[in-house]
Amino acid sequence: MNRYIISVTSAIVGILIAVSTGRADESDRFTQLRERMVKQDIEARGVRDEATLRAMRAVERHKFVSEDMIRMAYADRPLPIGYGQTISQPYIVAAMTELLQVREGDVVLEIGAGSGYQAAVLAEIVDRVYTIEIVPELAELSASRMKDYGYDNVEVKEGDGYFGWEEHAPFDAIIVTAAATHIPPPLVEQLKPGGRMVIPVGPPMRVQNLMLVEKQEDGSITQRNIMAVRFVPLTGER
Amino acid sequence: MLNRNSTIENPKTPFLHLSLFFISGVGIAYQIAIMRIFSIAQWHHFAYMIISIAMLGFGASGTVLTLLRSRIRGREPDMFRATSLLLAAAIFLCYEWSQRIPFETFHLVAQARQYVYLAQLYVVLAIPFFLVSTCITLAFFLGPRRIGLVYFVNMAGSGLGAAAAVALLYLFPPERIPYLLAFGVGMAALLVCGPSGVRRWKWISVSALILFAGWVWIQGMAPIRISEYKVLSYTLQFPDAEIVGRAQSPLSQLTAVTSRHIRETPGQISNYPMHELGPLPEQAGLFFDAGAVSVINRFDGDPSDLVYLDYVTPALPYRLMDEPDTLIIGAGGGTDVLMALHHGASHVTAVEVDPRVFPMMDEYFREFSGRLYERDDVTPVVAEGRGFLEAREGGRYDVIQIALLDAFSAAASGVYALSESYLYTREAVDLYLDHLSPNGVLAITRWLKTPPRDAIKMFATLVEAAERAGIEAPEHHIAFIRSWNTGTILLSRSPFTEKQVEAIRAFSRDRWFDVVHYPGIVPDEVNRYTVLEEPTYYLAAQAILSPDREAFYEDYLFYVRPATDDRPYFFQFFKWGSFRELMREMGMEWVAFVEWGYIALVATIVQGGVVSALLILLPLGVLTRRAETKGKRRWVLLYFAMLGLAFMFLEIAFIQKFMLFLAYPVYSVAVVLTSFLIFSGLGSLTADYFQTRGRTVLTAAVIGIGVVTGFYLLTLPALFSAWAGWTDAARVGGSVLLLGPLAYFMGMPFPTGMQLVSDRYGAMVPWAWGINGFASVMGASLATFTSIHLGFRVLVLLAVLLYMVAGMSYLRLRRNS
Repeated sequence: MNRYIISVTSAIVGILIAVSTGRADESDRFTQLRERMVKQDIEARGVRDEATLRAMRAVERHKFVSEDMIRMAYADRPLPIGYGQTISQPYIVAAMTELLQVREGDVVLEIGAGSGYQAAVLAEIVDRVYTIEIVPELAELSASRMKDYGYDNVEVKEGDGYFGWEEHAPFDAIIVTAAATHIPPPLVEQLKPGGRMVIPVGPPMRVQNLMLVEKQEDGSITQRNIMAVRFVPLTGER
Repeated sequence: MLNRNSTIENPKTPFLHLSLFFISGVGIAYQIAIMRIFSIAQWHHFAYMIISIAMLGFGASGTVLTLLRSRIRGREPDMFRATSLLLAAAIFLCYEWSQRIPFETFHLVAQARQYVYLAQLYVVLAIPFFLVSTCITLAFFLGPRRIGLVYFVNMAGSGLGAAAAVALLYLFPPERIPYLLAFGVGMAALLVCGPSGVRRWKWISVSALILFAGWVWIQGMAPIRISEYKVLSYTLQFPDAEIVGRAQSPLSQLTAVTSRHIRETPGQISNYPMHELGPLPEQAGLFFDAGAVSVINRFDGDPSDLVYLDYVTPALPYRLMDEPDTLIIGAGGGTDVLMALHHGASHVTAVEVDPRVFPMMDEYFREFSGRLYERDDVTPVVAEGRGFLEAREGGRYDVIQIALLDAFSAAASGVYALSESYLYTREAVDLYLDHLSPNGVLAITRWLKTPPRDAIKMFATLVEAAERAGIEAPEHHIAFIRSWNTGTILLSRSPFTEKQVEAIRAFSRDRWFDVVHYPGIVPDEVNRYTVLEEPTYYLAAQAILSPDREAFYEDYLFYVRPATDDRPYFFQFFKWGSFRELMREMGMEWVAFVEWGYIALVATIVQGGVVSALLILLPLGVLTRRAETKGKRRWVLLYFAMLGLAFMFLEIAFIQKFMLFLAYPVYSVAVVLTSFLIFSGLGSLTADYFQTRGRTVLTAAVIGIGVVTGFYLLTLPALFSAWAGWTDAARVGGSVLLLGPLAYFMGMPFPTGMQLVSDRYGAMVPWAWGINGFASVMGASLATFTSIHLGFRVLVLLAVLLYMVAGMSYLRLRRNS
């Protein structure tokens, strides 16, 4: 009898050790993948901002994709999250975050929470992130992720992002991930003078360029069209 | 000696030819319907790829029947009945199955299993094509001495099937058509078991039809599974989105949606002071094939309220003149009409190509749109823009505005997913200039692409057209401004006045738009508001206006030479010469920066080529065992491959050419397909007549094709111009008369060759049929590719050359071994 109890207990302990070791192994593996992602796909492609790189290292991207996509979570490509939405490729997330030039103490508005990944990356850097998502299922999902992963400084609202989030305005930075034929004027109004807004442009699953909107101290704006990838000169090679 | 009395009417299969007629018609109708369905579900170029590959099923039946020939000998009537019954079931079951496959084009880059789904789609959709083709080949076996007659029945059935499909698409949503066709084939199957047929088969057919009716009754008809990335899917996720109406036409499926979250503007409204002037008016959307959207603004009848329409680049022409008589091409939901009215247009002619748009506006948005199209100062016209102008005298309009809504040309009609746009060719701009008043302005707005290309191509088109019209210094007649996502280019018949130049400058400054060109522009003024890394648009405009234009066209990364009526592919920008640079600089990222439609076309050719080659070669193992085929296989291969390619080259070329004349792309597809098939059928019947008297007509056919195409190349543009004022019916009649003689000769070579193969090398009949099937499918893609790069004339000449090669291989084939 004693021998039986001992062997069963040993087996259970063994299994527990194996599982926890497995988990630790898996966690290590993701950390390694993340490190490689930051080095090869982000730093090597020109993103230099320390805060951005730190945030990209910290946020566990595999927790923001569906089960069947975990394998691909750290590949430098966008992944589908359902409802015609995607989680942007890591390089684009980093490039957008760097372009926003956000710092500790900033307040940021995001239009289109999607998976919640971009909000989490921003939340690693700034004081507060407000994010609006029009698809109820995605709003619920990203809100629960923020809660589960301890991002207390992110607030998710289900609704229409066109009119921004007046009660928390003005914002130091705004990121708009939902495509539109025009930049919603209320968003420009809710941007602080000196603030920056970034909008990725392109067909589904691809970002061709990033539109950077800078609000001047006098309230006027300038827009810059920044290519998402390094590109050949348009003339003169042949 | 041929048996002159043998006919297709095998005593065991009464009404075989009638049944074959139905099945052939259903085959082509299925192709057209499934093309429409996938244009709605995905995007037309992917639909094109999927259907083209699936159509290889047509050729595959030849391969399978060659391999099984010895097993089916003597059982052809039963096989025909069984296949036609299977076809009836397959048409609707395969459609249903295809809509359950969770394929998503955009996921191909992220999920390996999407390739499995894509392969599944190819196979599932190919099954009906395979079965149609099997029926036709079996009919060749059942009437081996009258191949010409069988081919005639096949062609006539297909011709009427094409016309019937277009008619059905006016009457029913495309997802219902597979069920209607299944019923049609079921009836055909019953016919073939007719009064003197075999009782067992009659009962099987009746039971199958009852089962089918029961299935549809219980299950209902499967809806189209629309990609989650299409604009309609996205819009329907808005909490208050509601579909208020739907309408069908062969051109597109229209869906009317209301939601307070729809907010579309014709481009960026950079400094619209919403806090002062209020929000945009409430909007509703008309979605074309679940993709492109045309918005309807809530309008109370007072155009001065719609202030936001003065904050977009297309408003520029109205700043240059007072109370212009305006023509809008692509009126859609009416935003551009409202823009003209807001700026005081004295009258607006609103031309819309899709015949369902105005009735939908009337039915669902009459009050919402403020009865826009019933106003005295607005004349709605259902017509294709160019056809409308061709039929009218010139010199009237002060503003011709071509809206952002891309014309729903043949690409949107979806039958072959060709992306011609005759609205954007150099000859089209000649026509617009003719119809402007002496101080009139043509205004074209395009969405901008990254890297810059289409607005540059448009600018080049306007500059070259101005020069053709005898304007000596086009730089004084042309202006170009841009926002972050739109470019508006103006071309004026008279040089811009000082006052107009100042108006262009002031409008751009006030609205934060960048100037790209106007008379007297200086480099300091450009690239201020939406800053590009280089002032690419300005540099391109300067190069196009300079003597270095040719060098610029050569050196630019994209193809930006103007489109012409001979090569009306405005949306084709890819240059093979730039491919290496793109790959070197961007790796696989380059794919995101070129037109996907072109990639899909190339992918279709590569995949189709591989599959065809494999399936054509597969039966060789069986054929080489037969002594009588020795030394003849290569000539059979060459002959039927050339015929398939040449036939499709001419068919595609003339669909493209007649699109211009018949104004509606869908008319062109229907008229050309139907005429080609029916007249080819008559040619085939003639070949059969002479063949049964021991004479062949091949030489006469090849000469006839050469002479008629030569005549068309020389005279078609002049004829089209002279007949432009004819009524629709007269133009359709004229087209049929023009197409008839060519198609008649084109119908002769196939049965001539097939009869020879059937008489002397019977084992190769299905193989020859298969080769012709593969070549026809590949011919459609290769024709588009050739036309894009070399133009209509070269395509037609190539086809004639292919017929000549076929003629020579026939001689080798006939020579006794």
